[in-house]
Amino acid sequence: MLINEMIIDENGVAFIPSLGISFQINETAKEIIELLKEGKTKEEIVKILSEKYERDWREVYIDVEDFFIKLKVYGLIQ
Amino acid sequence: MKYVKPTINRVDFNLASKYGSPLKTQRIKNDIDGVNVKELTETFGSPLFVFSQRQIEEKYNEFKEAFSSRYPEVEFWWSYKTNYLDAICKVFHNLGSKAEVVSEFEYQKARHLGIEGKDIIFNGPYKPKEALKVAVEEGAKIHIDHWYEINDLEEIAEELGREIPVTIRCNMDTGVYPAWSRFGFNIDNGEAYDAVKRIFEGKKLILTGLHSHIGTFMLSTEAYKNETIKLIKLKNKIEEDFGFNIEYIDVGGGFASKNRLKGIYQPPEVIVPTPDEYAEAITNAIYEYNKGKLPKLYLETGRALIDEAGYLLTTVFASKRLPDGKKSYIVDAGVNLLYTAFWYNFEIFLDKRYEGLNEPSQINGPLCMNIDIINENIMLPPLDRGTVMTIWPVGAYNVTQWMQFIRYRPAVVLIDKDSNPHLIREKEDLSDIIRREKLPDYLK
Ligand SMILES: Cc1ncc(COP(=O)(O)O)c(C=O)c1O
Repeated sequence: MLINEMIIDENGVAFIPSLGISFQINETAKEIIELLKEGKTKEEIVKILSEKYERDWREVYIDVEDFFIKLKVYGLIQ
Repeated sequence: MKYVKPTINRVDFNLASKYGSPLKTQRIKNDIDGVNVKELTETFGSPLFVFSQRQIEEKYNEFKEAFSSRYPEVEFWWSYKTNYLDAICKVFHNLGSKAEVVSEFEYQKARHLGIEGKDIIFNGPYKPKEALKVAVEEGAKIHIDHWYEINDLEEIAEELGREIPVTIRCNMDTGVYPAWSRFGFNIDNGEAYDAVKRIFEGKKLILTGLHSHIGTFMLSTEAYKNETIKLIKLKNKIEEDFGFNIEYIDVGGGFASKNRLKGIYQPPEVIVPTPDEYAEAITNAIYEYNKGKLPKLYLETGRALIDEAGYLLTTVFASKRLPDGKKSYIVDAGVNLLYTAFWYNFEIFLDKRYEGLNEPSQINGPLCMNIDIINENIMLPPLDRGTVMTIWPVGAYNVTQWMQFIRYRPAVVLIDKDSNPHLIREKEDLSDIIRREKLPDYLK
């Protein structure tokens, strides 16, 4: 998965060296990407975020699902 | 720690130029004339049309000042079709506007608001004889659209045993296309002159005015200049040839509002002429060409006076990620409420600042129809359920051409000059829709 090679700088600019393209990401996106690199599943990520931020997991689920579709559109995950 | 929805956007300079400046701009509007938009939707429901009396009056006074400072006798005739809600018409009437109607229904609405016949202009290609006769009897100003109407009016004159003062509507090439050549009599090919001659020879009608309406959302002041010159030249000629005394010329409506036409990329501030520019073009043409007594100048401005005073509040109900990566927001107002959505790109404001990066999005209404798109390409940050968006300007032609379709039509509110909101049209319910329906006994 290309996401594994993503390099993120302190301004939230993420770079994929093999494609030579960049993305602008925010803090939460960065957290999710780090968790993905650790091999966490979508369900695990939802649980971690909802506990950390004390949010209803069902709402966080929609956001993570949404984010995954975008990662797929960009070809960063399968 | 505060939770923010995750966002990722490809850094793409082509995209940036297509969608306007990229990442962080958000257009925010959390109140209308000091009344919070969220509170408005909580009190009156969502979606909700909101009109600002303050803005109506400011616009009206701006146009009035532009014309009255240049010309002695100017009258504004509120074009009912643009927005005929009672309260809105009443605001215009209280400001001194008279009424311009194009059907017996609009005529009745003006009368129901207490407007006298003499203060109503009756325009349009379809005036059933009964309606025409009532208008004549009540002293309305009749603007003739076609030859058959001359005949109808002569018959009415006969029936009433008196002459009827009339005006003819004219059309002409003003240099803008498409020309509205379907209404009235053409000046360029001599038809308008012939109509006056025919009226003169019939001896039952007296010509007192000349009218034209050259189109709507006219961005060219030159077109008004050309229109006025042609009307004034015709006036000079028929006064001389037939001895009619033309009391007024009516240059119609059509001034543009500060809306964004689809396909035109310059901002409205750049391309929409100011009231002064329109007024200058029209009044200069009269001064330059008029012979004899100056006629009164009538205006039937609709859109330009009301569009910017109208807002539609709508609430985000849900969102989804489309397979191409675009975000779609489902809001509770559909294109059935926004007739003008087919040619305008409205401004869309958010009720507050949202965290996260802007991303390519679209705004869809609640109708289960693929065409229900309020904005197809807009950069928006991740929005919550319940976000209130303000769609603007929507004051002209929407609350008349809106369609009851799939859902009930929403309420309309007018905010007075002291910032008090007033309900001026209730939202519909089932009774409004089934009131006129009949279920035959055999189907019961
Ligand atoms: C005869 C006539 N007068 C006035 C108007 C108002 O035009 P606008 O809203 O463009 O000012 C119209 C609109 O079509 C019209 O047909």
